[in-house]
Amino acid sequence: MTSSLHYDAVVVGVGVAGLTAAIRLAEGGARVCVLAKGVGSTHLAPGTVDVLGYRPERVEHPAAALPEFVGAHPDHPYALIGPDAIAPALDRFAAHIERGPQPGYRYTGGLDRNHLLPTAVGAIRPSALVPETMAAGDARSSVPVCVVGMRVLRDFHASLCAGNIRRAGIPARAVEVEIDVGRVEANSLGLARRFDDESFRAAFVGRLALLLRPGERVALPAVLGLRDPHGAWSDLQRRLGRAVFEVPTLPPSAPGMRVYNALVAALRAAGGRLVLGAEVLDVEREGDRVTGVRAHTSGHDTIYHAGWIVLATGGFASGGIELGSDWAASETILGLSLQGMPRPGEARFTADYFGHQPMAGVGVAVDSSLRARETENVYVAGAALPGAVPWREGSGQGIALATGHFAAQAVLEREGAAATA
Amino acid sequence: MEKLSADVLVIGGGATGAGVAWDAALRGLDVVLVERGDLATGTSGRFHGLLHSGGRYAVKDPSAAHECARENGVVRHVAADCVEDTGGLFVATPFDDPAYADRFAAGCRKTGVPCEEIEPARALREEPRLNPGISRAFRVPDGSIEVWKLVWALARGAQDRGARVLPYHEVVAVHRGGDQVHGARVRNARTGQELDVEAAVTVSASGAWAGQIAAMAGIEGVHVKPGRGIMIAMSHRLVNTVINRCQLPTDGDIIVPIETVCVIGTTDVGTDDPDDHTIIQAEVDAMLEDGERLVPGFKQARALRVWTGVRPLFEDRKENGATDTRDVTRAHALLDHRERDGVTGFFTITGGKLTTYRLMAEETVDAVCLQLGDARPCTTSAEPLAGSEDGEYHRVGDRLGRREQRLLDDQLICECELIPRKRIEETIRWRGTTDLDDLRRLLRLGMGPCQGGFCIYRVAGILHGLDGIDTPDANAGLIDYVRERWKGVWPVLYGDQLRQARLDEWIYQGVLDVEHLQ
Repeated sequence: MTSSLHYDAVVVGVGVAGLTAAIRLAEGGARVCVLAKGVGSTHLAPGTVDVLGYRPERVEHPAAALPEFVGAHPDHPYALIGPDAIAPALDRFAAHIERGPQPGYRYTGGLDRNHLLPTAVGAIRPSALVPETMAAGDARSSVPVCVVGMRVLRDFHASLCAGNIRRAGIPARAVEVEIDVGRVEANSLGLARRFDDESFRAAFVGRLALLLRPGERVALPAVLGLRDPHGAWSDLQRRLGRAVFEVPTLPPSAPGMRVYNALVAALRAAGGRLVLGAEVLDVEREGDRVTGVRAHTSGHDTIYHAGWIVLATGGFASGGIELGSDWAASETILGLSLQGMPRPGEARFTADYFGHQPMAGVGVAVDSSLRARETENVYVAGAALPGAVPWREGSGQGIALATGHFAAQAVLEREGAAATA
Repeated sequence: MEKLSADVLVIGGGATGAGVAWDAALRGLDVVLVERGDLATGTSGRFHGLLHSGGRYAVKDPSAAHECARENGVVRHVAADCVEDTGGLFVATPFDDPAYADRFAAGCRKTGVPCEEIEPARALREEPRLNPGISRAFRVPDGSIEVWKLVWALARGAQDRGARVLPYHEVVAVHRGGDQVHGARVRNARTGQELDVEAAVTVSASGAWAGQIAAMAGIEGVHVKPGRGIMIAMSHRLVNTVINRCQLPTDGDIIVPIETVCVIGTTDVGTDDPDDHTIIQAEVDAMLEDGERLVPGFKQARALRVWTGVRPLFEDRKENGATDTRDVTRAHALLDHRERDGVTGFFTITGGKLTTYRLMAEETVDAVCLQLGDARPCTTSAEPLAGSEDGEYHRVGDRLGRREQRLLDDQLICECELIPRKRIEETIRWRGTTDLDDLRRLLRLGMGPCQGGFCIYRVAGILHGLDGIDTPDANAGLIDYVRERWKGVWPVLYGDQLRQARLDEWIYQGVLDVEHLQ
């Protein structure tokens, strides 16, 4: 049995790009439904907003570097939407987090200057906008660092992290705290839930405080709470009497889940709807308009009719684009044409892992308003767009936020124009 | 300069060299084994893992078939713990010459390869993914063999009997005085230090590199033509039985289920350089198509990685050489350079199959003993390797079984291959290694579907935390690992494996940013 629902806009994909677009649409007065097969890249990403980290040398000041960057990369999403479109999206994101369900949790920074934060191996990674819980890790500070590991967490290794922070010129050492979580291994999610609990934090501090030296700041894996990260982090800083910062590590990502929780709350607050577990089967079309999306949800199919579609299904990593064993690539929902594919006979990948990979920049062909070229009413946002290598540029969340916001604006403008016409 | 002396110096740490060291040590000889890389990183570590029944050679090369059939039974006994008793099938697909099947059955009878014809319907019940168009099916005792486990069991067995095993020691000169070879100079690849090994007899078990070693001893005409073949590992066992096409051996006609994966092989392209690991995309694409012929839908599965190995195909180019090339090209060749070249104290053993490593070692050490004038009997066909004493085959579910018993006792570091933390720490200790790639071979670390996406960071961190390596070495190890892994990954990146590779890129280049480690 197929039921049928009507919206102004349907967004497919629940990563940062999809949620950002949906929130903007809902706040702009549109009736919005987000369809997603499952949760997206938020749960894998470090939770920082990286706008431009490498070009390929390290970027200290994204705002200053962007004009030249888009000049050199005319196919890049930033070039399509213009660098000026980034800041408003970041501002809205920061506001959504602050108004979100995690009291007091906020982001800090912006386009003027990248934070330089240690990763779990201790590499120094540039990020524009970061959770307040990470900011004290900035490598520009020479305050000694004590990196704290927990044996139970196999996804974070304090000694290696500290070793590389030292190599970056900051005094650093590692300690390990034995904590009892009732089992031999836990992942970041399990530990983050523990850190929401005040008595757990008190016991943790009881063990850690003895190991610290005066004047050290404390680096912990990014597990400081899920429900109330601001509370957990502030409590640890207060109890330890010093700066504490989180270091993102292997998935699942607690800071990424906080982003997801905050953005979903913002979507609901603006009147939008989210349907998870919705696998898109096909679409209905009238000419070059897509008029509905048929999705399979919990045992039945539903057609979601909409005037506008925002495609935020991601690239190869998320399954928004696939490469078949016949080496043909396709956009998986609408079969939209792709841009940036190597021609037949050309190399798809090359043997040098850190070298140029021809397939890296493949994405859906769009016009300068992010509208998919062969459709009238489908807009594309995020990693489905061509022309970027976000994991190397350090631009993933920046592209997601800015293009999600931009695509929604484009829809709202046309909706407004239609309403006044 | 540091010096070692021994009765026998073995050059080459593949299955043959380790087999020679084990055999000689069992006979009470004092042995030094040198290998330029880690053990089993040449041809032995770069094959599909097939323990031959002999069926593949039943028509083309009866003597090789007979040897394989005999050694199959011996290896199953002495190295049971390294062997999975998968059994094998030869199936006539619609792409094969239907007349071959009867020749195959007759060849098996003649060469002693146990072979039973079964109904195609029964073969399809046992292996439901097989091409339903098969017209004939024959059951043979093929198996799969975990080569690193085998070679290390041989080496450790030899060590227990006094042998000195030196991986990462490359021969830089063979010492020859007059008509006598009396050892070699080797260089430690990690420290650069050189070492002289003096030996009454030197055995070159260097496979495809045998010509290079012989030339160092001033011996001409030992020509080993490397035949390069590619193999592709698929993310799970599409079949649980070794599947061969019932035809004369050709490209892409065998699928071997081994551990958690299955491997399709292989090609045979002549090359001049045994270290040539070029992967040609057209060969990869053709191999995947070959997979479709045996298992329809093969290409829908995830291809994990592709690699190449070189077969040592021996050809004696010495004028009036004592050896008849027609006999040795397909089977193995043992050259006694006293007979062949008037040079005493030097033997070359090359060619052959992994399945016949033990027989090759036996013949070699027999000849060595003869030259030393001290005949001692070979006991390797009766003496089980450590871990194989109970004669129980390895089963693919063993790791899971052990894990289930100790689920709450230890962390799982590599989820794909079910490797717990204590096992990694123990291996680091006994092996005395801090090399991620050494650990990969010993434990199958990072060889599963995610290709090290999670475990390699974890193990680098564990090694560093144990003070096993300093930070620059940990960084170099991590970066080398992801680079090396990529070399086998990129030619087969499509479908869900591309998705997996992207996740790995996000982890290593994005979240961890290993490229920008200082």
